[in-house]
Amino acid sequence: MKLSETGILTKADLVEMGRYPSEERMKKGPVAVAECVQDIPCNPCETACPFKAIHIGENISNLPKIDVNKCNGCTTCVSACSGLAIFVLDKSYSDSYGKVTFPYEYNHSFKVDDIVKAANRGGKHVCEGKILKITNTQKADRTTVITLEVPIEYVDEVRSIYRDKQHQSSKEEIMSEKLADDVLVCRCEEITAGEIREAIRQGATDITGVKLRTRAGMGLCQGRTCEALVNQIIRQELGNSPADIGFSTPRTPQRPVTFGTLGGDLDE
Amino acid sequence: MNKTYDVVIVGAGVIGTSCAYHLVKKGFQVALVEKKDLARETSSHCDAVALIPDKMPGIDAAMGYASIQRFKELEKELNYDFEFHQNGSLHLCETDQEMEIATKYANDLIAEGYAIDILNPEELLEKEPFLATDLKGGLFSHECCGVNPYKLCFAFVDAVQGKGLDVYTHTTVTDIRRDADNNVVGVETDNGILKTNKVVNCCGVWAPEIGKMVGIDIPIKPRKGVILISGAGFPICKQKIHEFGYMVSKFDDIQCERDPEVEKYNVAFTIEPSAGNNVLIGSSRNFDGYDVDAEIDIIRVIAKRAVRFFPILKNINCIRSYAGVRPFIEEHLPLITHVKEIPGYYIAAGHEGDGISMAPLTGRLISEMIAGEEPCMDVTPFSFSRYK
Ligand SMILES: Cc1cc2nc3c(=O)[nH]c(=O)nc-3n(C[C@H](O)[C@H](O)[C@H](O)COP(=O)(O)OP(=O)(O)OC[C@H]3O[C@@H](n4cnc5c(N)ncnc54)[C@H](O)[C@@H]3O)c2cc1C
Repeated sequence: MKLSETGILTKADLVEMGRYPSEERMKKGPVAVAECVQDIPCNPCETACPFKAIHIGENISNLPKIDVNKCNGCTTCVSACSGLAIFVLDKSYSDSYGKVTFPYEYNHSFKVDDIVKAANRGGKHVCEGKILKITNTQKADRTTVITLEVPIEYVDEVRSIYRDKQHQSSKEEIMSEKLADDVLVCRCEEITAGEIREAIRQGATDITGVKLRTRAGMGLCQGRTCEALVNQIIRQELGNSPADIGFSTPRTPQRPVTFGTLGGDLDE
Repeated sequence: MNKTYDVVIVGAGVIGTSCAYHLVKKGFQVALVEKKDLARETSSHCDAVALIPDKMPGIDAAMGYASIQRFKELEKELNYDFEFHQNGSLHLCETDQEMEIATKYANDLIAEGYAIDILNPEELLEKEPFLATDLKGGLFSHECCGVNPYKLCFAFVDAVQGKGLDVYTHTTVTDIRRDADNNVVGVETDNGILKTNKVVNCCGVWAPEIGKMVGIDIPIKPRKGVILISGAGFPICKQKIHEFGYMVSKFDDIQCERDPEVEKYNVAFTIEPSAGNNVLIGSSRNFDGYDVDAEIDIIRVIAKRAVRFFPILKNINCIRSYAGVRPFIEEHLPLITHVKEIPGYYIAAGHEGDGISMAPLTGRLISEMIAGEEPCMDVTPFSFSRYK
């Protein structure tokens, strides 16, 4: 099965694209793999690497190329990747166990030596793993980096761990959590929770009322990203029912389309 | 509910909110009754520019000019930023014939004292470098301004709510009560009755419904317009720009040759910069009931027109479209009037494509009429009695 069929990346996909380190390299020691396959304009990994082993180049939509000879598996890039798509793999650890290092952005109270449920790229539990290392540097800005020991045959599969039960909040808890005033809610138009509360004080009682007063939801994504949060804030502030809060009106085109395309064959 | 007011206004679009503001300023106790919420209909589904060179010389242009002056005062008077900006406007001519008509028309306006420059193609490109290079010239008007239409509504309400104005949103007016002599005595809503001797019908395209409640026929029809929005980028244009064909689509009595496809939906290219480097691109004028879907057929024609005037748009994204319905009236003059046969019944509606720019003046005229003062301009052309 492949990414194009299941939506979940596989080792086979990466190997086919020439984006996976060789067995030989992994046996020599830790090495980074960028499981990044979409042309997203993004390049923090390139600048993060202290050994200049990652190359993106002029066009920041290029996929990162990792020079496996320069890479020593230092893991700096793991927390730098905002897409949480970089991992460090090591099959040199022992004959039967290997190491997988991955970013982890949930709250937790894991400790070294904890035995945890290891999960594959699709989030399925595949084996148990032992935590070898937890790093939380200031530079990593709250992205924890965890190194896990797993049976060697799972090094190519395991990419995260199951969440810490104690730190799993219920949906109700999450929805009742109050966002700080300076949290950006609408990322396209850069509107904060505080600005949304101000719009509510001015009389907005629904999604459209907030939108007209703040521009939240008027940007590139048309509210797809922020609408649920705006809804939550209105609910918290006014106690309105979701039906009263409503939805923003869907508008053509659902995704950006150039005026040239909309206007038809303008070259002829 | 069940309170008594000096005046009850029906409809909280730009016209109703302006009337509310101006009436409270005159000392009246006012209720503003709105079926949905502030500015949810035409007044948030439009552009919002106040122009002179899209008005016929005479009263139309005089109202446009007076409105611009009034916006300048309101900017100081109101405590709420409604994004007033005055950076002029351009009208573009595609053909020599259009340029000829435009020149004559501009000279008429100049003769009335308005500041309008007639530009040749080079001067046009100097003002707007991304314009197509084959245009024949255009008009530049220094005075033209723009506002954010729905924020203008919020600004009017914000200034007087609780200080003489009560706002009833999500409340639908269902009937107008009269006594035996036809005098207005109250307004019935789905939430109760408001007692009053004066009601102002500010329902835009729905004004005819509120007319029927007292047995009068208000000849307003919804005339749809579609607008496209570009993704944020860099400033494509510096001011509001219209093709002169806009005039043709607005006033059928100016005759010009036009593309049949464009003719079908009465499309005339307009573009205006908006907050965050987006541009608003319009628009069309067709009769399609109250429907506010932006149909792909109309979107296509507008996009094509847009690329024709601004070739650079070809590779720029459209992120959204919307449509609104203008309160169209045959004579191109709104009704701002008392209805003699029904003492206490006023109408302020039918502003078609100028409702935002004419809102301040409309509110003021209504407040003067209700206060029994001499209106600041001759209101005979806006009178309901023109239908007799
Ligand atoms: C595409 C487009 C572009 C435009 N561009 C410009 C421009 O550049 N400059 C300009 O000046 N104008 C422009 N206009 C015109 C302008 O938008 C309108 O003239 C103006 O918004 C009309 O305002 P209104 O208050 O009369 O109507 P509306 O804003 O529609 O308000 C009427 C209100 O009445 C309410 N209502 C209806 N029935 C009832 C009931 N029974 N009880 C209670 N409430 C009721 C409705 O809910 C609504 O809120 C444009 C319009 C369109 C469509």
